[in-house]
Order: sequence, then C-alpha cells, then structure tokens
Amino acid sequence: MNDAEVAPVLEEGEVGLVEYHDFVSEEPFAFEEGGELPGFTLRYETYGKLNAARDNAIFIFHALSGDHHCAGVYSLQDAKPGWWNNMIGPGKPIDTSKYFVLCSNCLGGCQGSTGPSSINPATGRRFGLSFPQVSVRDMVRAQSRLLDHLGIETLHCAIGGSMGGMQALQWAIEYPDRVRSLIAMATTSRQSAQAIAFNEVGRCAIVQDPGWHEGDYEPGQGPNLGLAVARMMAHITYLSDEGLDRKFGRVRRRERESAGAGGYFDVEFEVESYLRYQGKSFVNRFDANSYLYISKALDRFDLGQGGPIEEVVDKMQARALVVGFTSDWLFPPRQNREIVHAMIRAGKNASYAEIDMDLGHDSFLVRAPALYELVSGFLAADEHLPRAHA
Amino acid sequence: MKRSAIKREVDLQILGDWVSEGARVLDLGCGRGIFLEYLRQNKRTYGVGVDNQIEKVSGCVKRGVSVYQGDIEQALRQFPDGFFDWVLCSRTLQELSRPQDIIRESLRVGKRFAVGFVNHGYWRNRLHLLWHGRRIINEVFPEGWGESRRLNPIAVGDFEDFCAREGLTITRRAYLRGDWHTPCKLFPGLFAGYVLYEVSR
Repeated sequence: MNDAEVAPVLEEGEVGLVEYHDFVSEEPFAFEEGGELPGFTLRYETYGKLNAARDNAIFIFHALSGDHHCAGVYSLQDAKPGWWNNMIGPGKPIDTSKYFVLCSNCLGGCQGSTGPSSINPATGRRFGLSFPQVSVRDMVRAQSRLLDHLGIETLHCAIGGSMGGMQALQWAIEYPDRVRSLIAMATTSRQSAQAIAFNEVGRCAIVQDPGWHEGDYEPGQGPNLGLAVARMMAHITYLSDEGLDRKFGRVRRRERESAGAGGYFDVEFEVESYLRYQGKSFVNRFDANSYLYISKALDRFDLGQGGPIEEVVDKMQARALVVGFTSDWLFPPRQNREIVHAMIRAGKNASYAEIDMDLGHDSFLVRAPALYELVSGFLAADEHLPRAHA
Repeated sequence: MKRSAIKREVDLQILGDWVSEGARVLDLGCGRGIFLEYLRQNKRTYGVGVDNQIEKVSGCVKRGVSVYQGDIEQALRQFPDGFFDWVLCSRTLQELSRPQDIIRESLRVGKRFAVGFVNHGYWRNRLHLLWHGRRIINEVFPEGWGESRRLNPIAVGDFEDFCAREGLTITRRAYLRGDWHTPCKLFPGLFAGYVLYEVSR
C-alpha cells in the first residue's frame, strides 16, 4: 500500500487517539484446508459508538500488507495515522459519528493476530511452517467470532479493497444474514494468472533467501533481503506507469558521472531509492512467513469455489457496490465488473462503478472525491430497500 | 407545471405506466436513477441501470438504485435471453452508434423494448433547417455544433421503418405534440415532438 497521507490527526473530523484491543478466542478453530488451532487472537481497533440497536457496525478489511490500524494515531508523536484515515472519521465518507467502525488484523497476519510468527502453545516455539494453511474464508470465519464477542449480530456494511474486498464478498456469502451491505474495491473473485505470477516471484525471493531456513527463524533474523525484494516488486504492481512517472519521472539521486558508495549499480534514480526504502521499511513491520501464507491465500481464493460465481452469490442478501479503478492492472476493472455481472444475473441489488484515476491498484487508498461520494452515498442509501428480487 | 418539468416527466408517466408491477427492468442510459427509483416505488420493480458517467452512477448509488457503469452494448451481452421483462431506453437512442444492434440485443435480453425519443422530423425542425440551413439548437439540443456530443438524431419514419424491416411488433405507442403533453392525432411524423414506443418480437 501507499504511504498513508499525513493529516492533522487531532482536529475536528479526525478519529484522533486510538488504541488496539486483543480478542482471544479459546474455542478450537479448524482450518478449511485442514489443521487446527486450540484458539487464536485477533488484534482489532474500533472507532465511533455502537448504537443501542447494535446495528450500525461497519467492518473494514485490510489488504495483504495492511493491519487493524486503519484510522487515528496511537500517540501525538506518530508520524502517520492509520492506513485509511482519509476515509474514516467523523464527517468523513465512513462517518464515525454515525457508524461503529471496526477493523481487525487477519488470521495468519503478523501485527498482533495469530499467525506463523506466533508461539505455538503446544511446543513453546514459533509455528513457522507448522502453521495451518490459511484461506480468505478462514480469515472471515475468525472475524465472525470477534463479531459474536462484541455482541454484533449484523453488519451495516462490510468494506474492503484488494484482499479486503475478497473478505467483504466472502462475508456476504458465508454469513448472508449478518451482512446488510458490502463495498468491495479493486478486487477480484479469483486472481488471474498474472496476479498469481507476481505473488510467486515474491515467494521465490523469500524462500530462496538463506535466512529463511524453511520458515524457522527468529524475528529480525529472517529472510530480510528476500522479503524486501518481494515487497519492492509487489509495490510496483500496486502503482501504475503514469503514477510512477508523475511521482518520480527520471529524477536522479546522483549525477550520471558520480558513482555512489555502492558503485555503478548503487541507487541512481529517485524511483530506485523509493523502492529500496519501501522494501527496507516493510521488513521492519512484516513477517516473511505471514507474507508467504497470506499471498498463497490470495492465490487460492476463489469466490465461486471452482464454479460460476452466480451460484454462490445467489446466497447473498446484502446489497453490493463494487468499485474498479481504470489504472488498476493487478485487479483490473474487468475482474471487478464480472462480480457485479454475476450478482445482477442472480437478481441481486448490486452496482458497479469505475473510477478514472491513474494511481493503479492503490487508487482506493488515496483522497478521491468520486470514491468518497460513492461510499457515503451508498452507506446512506435507504436501508429499507429490497435486497433481492424474489 | 413548467415546460421543462413536463419534458422530464413524460417518460416517467408514459413508460412508467406501461411497465407492469414487479417487473424486471433494465434502463439503458439511466442517468441519476430517477426513473428506476420511480418504478421501484410505484411498481415494485427489480431495476438495473446502465450509464457510463461516474456522476450519474453516483446519483444512482445514492438512491439505492442498482447501476452498472460501462458501455451499453457490453452490459447487454452479460445477460441471458429474456432475463428482463422490459428494456427501457429513455432519451438515449439519439446518442447511440449503430442503434439497430442495441435494439436487437435489447430484444434478446428483454421481452419488450420501450423507448422515448425526440422526433427529429417535427415540423419546426424541418422549417428550421429549411429557413436557416443550419443545425437545430433548441431546448432539447441546446449545444451548438462545436460543443455538441455525438448525436444520431431519429425521426418517427426512421424508427417505424426499422421495426417493419426487422419484423418487430409495435405493441404500444404514444405520439405527443410539441408540448410533449397533448396527444398528436394527425401525421405524427410531422406534428409529433416526442414519441414513445413499446416493441416486441
């Protein structure tokens, strides 16, 4: 994801200071592809107030490298607010003065929720590769326990972009009577060969780094180089030719003639420096095994479970809005459109909107009036609308 | 009621009256979804709109109207035969390229095609062209040549000839005078300002 925008965080219209919570489920959890955990932790944050009817909750789902911290700051010293701070807050499109907004780090993640870097209570050692294969559906099923714990029966809306969009869709299918509406952006019902290909390059960089040790490494000692390269490559797929050109062009860090400390192949262009920085900073906040597990979950995700998606979306009761972005070449508009085609063919109340932005896949994360209007308009639209045609 | 308001409501009233209770409706060029909202409220329809502008699509979303942003031809291709009871085309026909392909495709996915359009053969238009020898600028087509979108104007004769050639049955029609309100009883090709048809195979 892009750098979150730096915004004045304590002003009116901002979520302001926030803190995270840990939900611990002590019931055993069986994974879709086999394997079980005796329980798990999900780290989450909430903003706004749950109303008396407990029906104003909005669940936000993060993308591959995201986390539960989607708005506000932890302290006044924080340089950056949560990753969707521009979208979430009082008076913002996802209005925390009206809605109770909730976001959790996904199962298999590494930002406080149980994942491969967590300690296996049975062995006292890190799970590493003994962690069960996690799927998008597993993430959703784990989140439903969090919702139970918070005493929320139904969601006003399930919202996410990219992998978060997959979760929003999966929620509406897995728990049709718990989701009244969903917004999925820059997403897909099943990844294309190209998207799988990119993930595979990232995984290869990680597993071929000698620091990986079959997933058995201590924090900070892992395949840092491999993970950084995976991130650099993936980051390019989140942007676009035009976006990169506008941001960096061919601006140089050093003169053509001068050699850097690293010689001829040291950072020369601004964009190289940017990517290296992205790679390095990612290593400090993300676990390589989590990256392997979650990217694999994305590759295997198939909303239609091998069949046409009409059959599964038929279960859905939520009204839906799917948003594609013209310059998204990771999950291009066509893949977003197809989801809505299937929903309409199944007689659902579903809309497709396409926003013309040149920032690529990550367009959904940036300030965009057209997107704001769609989101706030959709959330506010009459809740008593018929959901599907009988 | 103001003239402009009458013009806006004519499709709502006449096409809206033709559509039956609880029908499945596709609206080509649905704009901000006002017509589909009206149909949902008055006829409890299941409606889907198609429009290619984000501002229009946003308007639909706000109304809770299902909308698909994109190209009409491409949207039509997504639906199985006879999926909709009506395919509506309200004041959009004159902006389509190869409208015959779209009408044929509409009658594949829909049981009926209902359309409302400005009659280009209206006597004032004929007189305007004869007198000024220039492109018509009026309330309906306010833009001059230089700033206009691409237009494919249509006259009563064009549409009825097309239906005859294609073997389509005109099941309902309404000819309205220049005020878009008073029924036009004589020589609609000449005296009708606005016309509405419902056709089926």
